[in-house]
Amino acid sequence: MKNHISIRNVNAFYGEHQALKDITVGIPEKQITAIIGPSGCGKSTLLKCFNRLIDLTDGARVSGKIIVDGMDVLDGSIDVTEVRRRMGLLPQKPNPLPMSIYDNVAYGPRLHGTADKKKLDQTVEKYLKIAGLWEEVKDRLKSPANKLSIGQQQRLCLARGLAVEPEIILCDEPTSALDPVSSQHIEQQLLKLKNDYTIVIVTHNIHQAIRLADYVIHLYLGELVEHGTANEVFENPKEERTRAYINGTLVTDMKTDSEVNLKGNVCPFNFVYAKQALHTLEKGKILKLIVDDPTAVIEVPRGMEADGHEVLSVKQVNKTDWEIMIRKNE
Amino acid sequence: MDKRFEEKLFKVLMLASLAAVLGSLFMVIAVIIWNGAPALTFSMITQTPKGGYYMGKEGGILNAIVGSLYLAFGSMILALIISLPAALSLQKDYIGKTKAAYYIRLSLDVLWGTPSIVYGAFGFIVMLYLGMRASLLGGIIVLTFLQLPIMIRSMEEVIKMVPSELKEASYTLGATRFETTTGVVVRQALPGIVTAVLLAFGRGIGDAASILFTAGYTDSLPHSILDPVASLPLAVFFQLGTPFPEVQARAYASALILLLIVLALSITSRALSKRFMKNIIR
Repeated sequence: MKNHISIRNVNAFYGEHQALKDITVGIPEKQITAIIGPSGCGKSTLLKCFNRLIDLTDGARVSGKIIVDGMDVLDGSIDVTEVRRRMGLLPQKPNPLPMSIYDNVAYGPRLHGTADKKKLDQTVEKYLKIAGLWEEVKDRLKSPANKLSIGQQQRLCLARGLAVEPEIILCDEPTSALDPVSSQHIEQQLLKLKNDYTIVIVTHNIHQAIRLADYVIHLYLGELVEHGTANEVFENPKEERTRAYINGTLVTDMKTDSEVNLKGNVCPFNFVYAKQALHTLEKGKILKLIVDDPTAVIEVPRGMEADGHEVLSVKQVNKTDWEIMIRKNE
Repeated sequence: MDKRFEEKLFKVLMLASLAAVLGSLFMVIAVIIWNGAPALTFSMITQTPKGGYYMGKEGGILNAIVGSLYLAFGSMILALIISLPAALSLQKDYIGKTKAAYYIRLSLDVLWGTPSIVYGAFGFIVMLYLGMRASLLGGIIVLTFLQLPIMIRSMEEVIKMVPSELKEASYTLGATRFETTTGVVVRQALPGIVTAVLLAFGRGIGDAASILFTAGYTDSLPHSILDPVASLPLAVFFQLGTPFPEVQARAYASALILLLIVLALSITSRALSKRFMKNIIR
């Protein structure tokens, strides 16, 4: 498996805050790589380093190397526009340009020197077809892009990104603003595109990562926790944090049967309350505990396991709070 | 206080202030129409004055109409050519974040508030120094200075509103700063830019003090850019100052013409804006 992007010792800072901590990892060619992790873990920052969009953020600094086709993207002396042309970006929220549908797709090729009308027509048609939008817009190419639905706008952004003929497609949570049908549409297009492009998708939707990814990178608070093929990471994660994150995300989607908030309680009371709460539940039901005591995060799951219950996940939900999911056994 | 009473009270207050504003504006317009309409004849807009602008009761004010249009459009175009690049350079992509930009904005705000007679006096001194006579060119240049702060600051405000996602989209396609600015930022900000230009035009065509010394006043039409020109605000000023009621009525008629010109331009620019709005991303 050949690496298309090699990330070496990359550190990123926003002022004093370190957003990426010494990341070294490779991204395989012509596959879909998913970068997973909770919000604020540095996923988008890493993506922004690839196409140097991070340069536009005030007070951001990046060190290390990101090698794409033998060229160090972070090298200050290279031509940034060329780097960006090689990487299409599908943003979180579709951002069509203030012009017609046609001009949106033709914008990139025009920048890079295609002026011939016939050639532009062909390019526009070709990439709108690849993005799966052609049939819907072919009769109104001259109408403003802002008239499209949000899902159509996202496919337009895909077509626009592809029209500059990149080798890499970067997706920053590309379906988070879309309805389920449009999301599915985008996912299908990405699966088709992976034969020709290296795709990197940032997502906090584990289901999406499972559906799409060939390779997975897990980041947590700016650190690289684990990386490997999707099978390895999803079936048999080496790191406990990865297991917790994957399970945790999946379990939140599960129906919980009871929820007990133990914030403000210390050991051993939260332990006792948890035990009581489980006692009232039937076998196989799921209890969600919310705790904010650091000892409880470790001790409560351990105690419940000792009682023969199954701890499904332990997940930090914000700065102070943790969610513990327990299934009642016995 | 009772919430519903509070709600009602504020509604009444808001409507009252709106009524005060609209009422006084309406009264100004009513006075102009009431006094000016009877004197507004066809010859007013087709002939130059007969018997001098101060005393003359015959002829028209074509000299002032033509002069004002020359002055206002000339200065508007000149100010636009200077303002647009200046406003664009104040984006954060260029010098917008620097200390210098802060002081530039501050001085533009001060200049915006400077009385136009100061511009006029300054222009007059410079022209004296250069040995220039009061002329169309002098008037255009001084009016341009008057309009620059208005245009730059109001353009900058709309340019600042262009969403950064749009710029990012352009950058990710491999566009340079210049390509992004001309291709995306200006397009997105166009309706606002049109409004800024209109605002400055209104100030330019309505200003009397700055052109009093610099453009002069004359009964004839200008034949070259170095001739003095008449203007509508000054026509109003001079004609209103006479003891003759007939000439005073002509001042109101001149004001009415000025009002109609501004109205026509407002309507055109609105129509233009609407056309440009079509592609805007909201």
